[in-house]
Amino acid sequence: MTAMVIDNLHKRYVDRYTGEEIVAIGDVSFSVHEGEFVSILGPSGCGKTTVLNIVAGFIEKTRGTVTVGGTEVTAPGPDRGVVFQSHALFPWKTVLGNVTFGLRMKGMDKARREQAGRDVLELVGLSGFERKYPHELSGGMQQRLGVARVLVNEPAVMLMDEPFASIDAQTRRKLQQDLTALFELRRPTVFFVTHDIEEAVFLSDRVVVLSGRPSTVRDIVEVPLPRPRNWHAAVESTDFRTTVTRIESLLSGEEAHVGDGS
Amino acid sequence: MRIAARVFAHPVVRTLGPFVPVVLLWWLIARSGIVNESFFAGPGVVWSEFIDLVRKGILPSYLSDSVTRLAYGVGFGLLLGIPLGFLVGLNRWARRLTWPVLIFFQAIADIAWLPIVIVWFGFSLTAVTFVIVYTIVFPLTLGVVAGVDQVPDELVRAARSMGASRFRVFLEVIVPGSLPAVASGIRTGLGYGWRALIAAEIIVGTSGIGFMMFDARRVGDVAEVFLGMIILGILWYALDALVLAPFEQATVERWGMVRQVETTR
Repeated sequence: MTAMVIDNLHKRYVDRYTGEEIVAIGDVSFSVHEGEFVSILGPSGCGKTTVLNIVAGFIEKTRGTVTVGGTEVTAPGPDRGVVFQSHALFPWKTVLGNVTFGLRMKGMDKARREQAGRDVLELVGLSGFERKYPHELSGGMQQRLGVARVLVNEPAVMLMDEPFASIDAQTRRKLQQDLTALFELRRPTVFFVTHDIEEAVFLSDRVVVLSGRPSTVRDIVEVPLPRPRNWHAAVESTDFRTTVTRIESLLSGEEAHVGDGS
Repeated sequence: MRIAARVFAHPVVRTLGPFVPVVLLWWLIARSGIVNESFFAGPGVVWSEFIDLVRKGILPSYLSDSVTRLAYGVGFGLLLGIPLGFLVGLNRWARRLTWPVLIFFQAIADIAWLPIVIVWFGFSLTAVTFVIVYTIVFPLTLGVVAGVDQVPDELVRAARSMGASRFRVFLEVIVPGSLPAVASGIRTGLGYGWRALIAAEIIVGTSGIGFMMFDARRVGDVAEVFLGMIILGILWYALDALVLAPFEQATVERWGMVRQVETTR
């Protein structure tokens, strides 16, 4: 089953200050299956976040179609929950208040949504922090909450915009590991934006590699790593190394397919 | 040492302690006779003036007049300024149409309105209220607009992508998100309003603390002028300590949105 289809996506805008027209996204097409983890990777400024923002309904596309769960995207909606790099938690709501926000918007009664909230907090390792405010949590814990807050709504696709980019390296490894475990347990559909090749390979089933601006899909790389995955095994596996090397060469513009996995 | 620390931590000591040297200096200057007694009243004289005015019932009645006027002015000011601020802050057209006008009227000082206000409303409560409302509305409106602007886009986006309607986004994100700036707008507005009240009472007044001070000056009662000044300070301090600071501590400070508000308790 296909959860999300992006077809001939094109985005053009006019720079406010210089007045020049910029083509951010040239022509991008790919799809994400239900229960699949797909990353989009590209050089910085290539418009990968723009793709996510269009899918989320935050900005308008110039041409093409984006379909999620069979309906075309026109505005933001709870079927496409977003995990932001800046976490974007509500400072005035407690951890429980943040995690139950979506369910409250849906009109779920208090007892049920708080139960669902507690369950998902336990899943991401935040039990016991229900009454805390976001600023009282560490960066890593804040992003766990960011993930929990989206996961609890069971969106058709979970959109993640470089969610671990502003977190220190050690914590980042742990969060990636825990996200993988969570994914393997719950099998949500995930669309993940990153500029970190190893992160993309470790987490994903497939990696969409974009070219520089105006971005087009250079290749879609299957990751041949078995699940469950862990960092320890991954870094030692040849499949991991060859996939990373292959993406590196795709990004540097070389067409040499080192250890072609297809 | 530990006992000393405990004593200094006590709320009464923390509140009144810093005033001890001020009062002492005041007393010393009055006592030394550097300044003529009829220009500079000492703490003792002001205190007996206070007792005297309370006994005669003048002070309580003037005080309640001033506070009532302020309450009216602030009430209408908040009712007008907060919705206006959200309208201008959220609606592109409202902002385009009103912004130059807001800046223009903000520049006309409250007291500059008094002459025409007296022509329109006479020496009345309406005149005083008008001036206070006018003074409060502009800093408040501009504060709310600044507050709306400082709500991060991503919080609005997050709420939208969790199924919040535009109206819910307003209630759940814009209002609390703009609270730090709104709270400081209220603080600034009240401060201006408080000053405007005294100015208005001096010119328009037939009663009130401002009137009392100006009237005392006319008959050369320096102690009463001093007393009025002290009362102004105490009232503002009380408003800050009992209303403004606790409100900020329970909201924006608790949420980690601003640095700790200086406690006045």
